[in-house]
Amino acid sequence: MEPTCRKDKVKLNSTPTRGDRAKQKSAQQELKQRQRAEIYALNKVMTELEQQQFEAFCKQMQSQGE
Amino acid sequence: MTGPNATSTCSPAAKMGRHRSKSTSGSTYCNSSPGAESATLSTPNNAGRSSGEEDEKDGGVLFYVNRTGFPIEGVTWERMWTHVAKVHPDGQDMVSKIRNAAYLPKHPVPSVPNFKPSMSVPAWLLAIQNYMKALQYNHTGTQFFEIRKTRPLCGLMETAREMIRESLPIKCLEAVILGIYLTNGLTSVERFPISFKTQFSGNHFHHVVLGVYCNGRYGTLGMSRRQDLMDKALTFRTLSELVMEFEDSYRRYQHTLKKVKIGLYVPHDPHVFQPIEWKYLVLNAARLGREDMRKELEKHGRDMRMKILKSSSAQSPIKERTRGKSLSPHRRQSSPQRRHIHRRDKS
Repeated sequence: MEPTCRKDKVKLNSTPTRGDRAKQKSAQQELKQRQRAEIYALNKVMTELEQQQFEAFCKQMQSQGE
Repeated sequence: MTGPNATSTCSPAAKMGRHRSKSTSGSTYCNSSPGAESATLSTPNNAGRSSGEEDEKDGGVLFYVNRTGFPIEGVTWERMWTHVAKVHPDGQDMVSKIRNAAYLPKHPVPSVPNFKPSMSVPAWLLAIQNYMKALQYNHTGTQFFEIRKTRPLCGLMETAREMIRESLPIKCLEAVILGIYLTNGLTSVERFPISFKTQFSGNHFHHVVLGVYCNGRYGTLGMSRRQDLMDKALTFRTLSELVMEFEDSYRRYQHTLKKVKIGLYVPHDPHVFQPIEWKYLVLNAARLGREDMRKELEKHGRDMRMKILKSSSAQSPIKERTRGKSLSPHRRQSSPQRRHIHRRDKS
């Protein structure tokens, strides 16, 4: 009698391991840090622009007043 | 208010019209007035509104709100860059310079102020304000923290913790929530929102600061593009003096004050489920004279100090609400629980 062969079920590796989760968390942290750096770099540029436009506007109003 | 700043792309904004998105998706495009704080405008259409604010006409540039937390997801992130590329004169070059930079300086994470019993209240408020200034005012055109004004206080306090955790630039409404969080527990200090609606060049702008009251003096905490539209020292003897100070500041930038909305004291318990009362007293500055406004503000200040005012969300059914010591004829005409002052009632 031939031994019954079980169909070996393909083990679905969908469950993240602890290592995977740690890597994902680390990647997320790095992304957040990079995004934060970009945001502040952008905010610096946009703040300077706003200040320039505000000063130009003030000068315009002043000259109109005169 | 917004000044002549990079977010004032009036043409595309004007074409798109004004609408407030009620979507909860991360890509919501919101009509908001970020710039109710800034006094001048390069173009008339430069304002926006956070989600949750009343639907009023404004002349502003729309801005976006990040609704999906951190790290910021792709759609919201790309939208931020697309927006700034449109508004900045250097456009895509400016964007590429930042996004492609191999190295960007790390903006230091400011230390959260730590209250010590030896600190005076003014010193503590200064520490809080300095912390908010260190976060910086958000000029990017994308608000990073979603503030729904109707949320329970406990939920908003969670958002305040997120603001501290993520340490990113903030705008006026976020600053109010953060200010409440950082003053919680200091029971000698009462906090209440003060909202302004102003007009400039035919357009309306909205701003909000956190009023503070301690030991007979009023002041504010807040964030704005303009220095004189945010924090005010605890030196004002009356609420009306404080509001007039803001009105004078606005006038310097040629903004006309149209409405002032004063809320109620915010409870110190961060776990409270009731929402913040943002507009218990609504004053139509355009119709009330200065003297009438002063009287209404001083009455409200007295009522708040006597703690006889109840938020509409904390009150029982309408029938009972119509009875009350502080109820005035004005209130009955509009709503039982709020006062909308349009003109002096001489009856």
